[in-house]
Amino acid sequence: MAEANPQPLLAVENLEVAVAGHPEARILRGVTFAVNRGETLAIVGESGCGKSMTSLSVMGLLPAGVEKTGGSLRLDGTELPITDNRKMRKIRAARIGMVFQEPMAALNPVFPVGKQVAEVIGEHMSLSRSAARARVLSLLDQVGLPDPERIAKSYPHRLSGGQLQRVVIAMALACDPEVIIADEPTTALDVTVQAQIMRLLKQLQIDTQVAIVLVTHNLGLVAHTADRVAVMYGGRKVEEAPTRELFLNPQHPYTRGLLDATPHPDRQRRGGKLLNEIPGTVPSITDPMPGCRFAPRCAFAQADCQAAPPPEEGPAGHRVACYHPAAWAAQDKTEAPQ
Amino acid sequence: MSTSSRSRPWIFLGKRLAYGLLAILAIAVINFFLLKMAPGDAAEAMAGEAGTATPEYIAELRAQFGLDQPVLVQLGHFLARLATFDLGYSFRYGEDNVTLIFDRLPATLMLMSASLLVAVIGGIIFGVTAARYANRAPDQAISLVALLLYATPPYWIGLILILVFSVWLGWTPTSGMVDVLAFNTGWAHVVDVAHHMILPALTQAFFYLAIYIRLVRAGMLDVLSLDFVRVARAKGISESRIMYRHALRNAVLPLLTVVGTNLGGFLGGAVLTETVFSWPGVGRLMFDAMFARDLNLLLSILVLSSAFVVLTNLVVDLLYVVINPTVELK
Repeated sequence: MAEANPQPLLAVENLEVAVAGHPEARILRGVTFAVNRGETLAIVGESGCGKSMTSLSVMGLLPAGVEKTGGSLRLDGTELPITDNRKMRKIRAARIGMVFQEPMAALNPVFPVGKQVAEVIGEHMSLSRSAARARVLSLLDQVGLPDPERIAKSYPHRLSGGQLQRVVIAMALACDPEVIIADEPTTALDVTVQAQIMRLLKQLQIDTQVAIVLVTHNLGLVAHTADRVAVMYGGRKVEEAPTRELFLNPQHPYTRGLLDATPHPDRQRRGGKLLNEIPGTVPSITDPMPGCRFAPRCAFAQADCQAAPPPEEGPAGHRVACYHPAAWAAQDKTEAPQ
Repeated sequence: MSTSSRSRPWIFLGKRLAYGLLAILAIAVINFFLLKMAPGDAAEAMAGEAGTATPEYIAELRAQFGLDQPVLVQLGHFLARLATFDLGYSFRYGEDNVTLIFDRLPATLMLMSASLLVAVIGGIIFGVTAARYANRAPDQAISLVALLLYATPPYWIGLILILVFSVWLGWTPTSGMVDVLAFNTGWAHVVDVAHHMILPALTQAFFYLAIYIRLVRAGMLDVLSLDFVRVARAKGISESRIMYRHALRNAVLPLLTVVGTNLGGFLGGAVLTETVFSWPGVGRLMFDAMFARDLNLLLSILVLSSAFVVLTNLVVDLLYVVINPTVELK
């Protein structure tokens, strides 16, 4: 996948995560992806597909009762010590920053936000108090907050969701990390603020060459900001392609289903449905089905789909885990073109 | 802007003080009638002790103390004196009630602060530890001990502590506040008092320690499930810092409220503890006043205690503003 760079910055390979003591409850069933410097990879999928677990694995912050059961997580070629909290602490925020979903809940209500940004700097950088303070102010300025002096002294309940998310981004950026994992960074925000936050992340990426892993279920967001997209379903990656390629030429029936499941006024005008939903529900993590996990909901599933999980195939830039990629192409030709 | 209410604490203070005064007045009146309903009075008790309990002598004593007047007139006198901060005179001790109480107050306050400190600091340390190892061995041990301390009556704990540490082991004195025969001065006196205080302070602390452990544990578990704790972990800071700085700072807010309301309870507990350990404090004085039917003294103690509780609760509310930035005075 990494044509330009032989060694990707962050490489996740065959990551498997399961409920501790219940190896049959597999949350991630072999997830592989890689991100390079200055690149944005989006991980998309519906709730429960394992995208958040993937990002928490990278941080070594899997919740209690969930553990990594296989695969590797490498940062710049070195395996991440995700089970060693002491070593992982030196990597969190210092080399991998994280932006969370709920900015309103992400900051401690009893400390001014400036202090909370300063805490990261104090933990990972040896700066004097005044230098740390100056850095906090310049970070708050960098993330586009007006009057950093006042904001730094404010308690979280005095700031808006958008302002808080900027503070959280400042916190994630504070130690110049190589990677930022943004887990649904705009889900809790207004649409206009969403666009501002994504533009901010993009600008910061241009300035610092930070790699961004954007975890989201919002395809609109992905289309505007990601370089590449990995689609996850049922604990597996089903398709990965450059953003434009994925939107124009999806190969996996699930990817197509996702794209179809965005509201389409055009389609409605032509007499179709506003929204084409995917029938059925996500399989349970304990469901032992041997084949493709999407098969029960797939309109194009055939007998071979039930037998074994489909391997990832295709050219380096566009990989898909499906026995019958783009199976609808044949149907579309026989029917009237859209 | 709501900031203005933060900068206008005087209105809040004035309101609270007015309510406090009303509460103290109500407590004084109710206690006055309660004590009047109790059988016996100071005259009977004194006459009984003197051994010359002729009705004439008792009547003479009553007239001397004003006890022969109608109850409402007595109440009027009492409230009128209260308004001038005059708490009256104890015929039994031959001393002003205020002097009596304030002589004993330091001993009580010292014991109270010591046990309060033990309960709060112990509650925080054990509560945080229990939450950190929730449902594992350390938590189970701490929770079991807390349950035992909670369920055991304090006076019984006091007697057992005396039995074990004073009688069997001989480590601590059995009672009193100082070694009267040693005539210690300076530093030696301080050490002596501290030595005497260990058992009564622990006795009084244990019950509250149990409550605070459970409260801090529950509060910590609540806070630890919040998002900002995970964000704090993602910052790479240490687990102890997350516990004691990020989580505890939020979890002590309910503790502060409960400690505030418990201060009255500490005073009430002083009666038992000070009696068991012969600690020369206000609680002991109250106990003695009760037996001697020195209702005037008893009433004075009750009024002063209620004033103390009202004031400390006000202080706790003010502290809340300092410790919790989202709370604003109204």
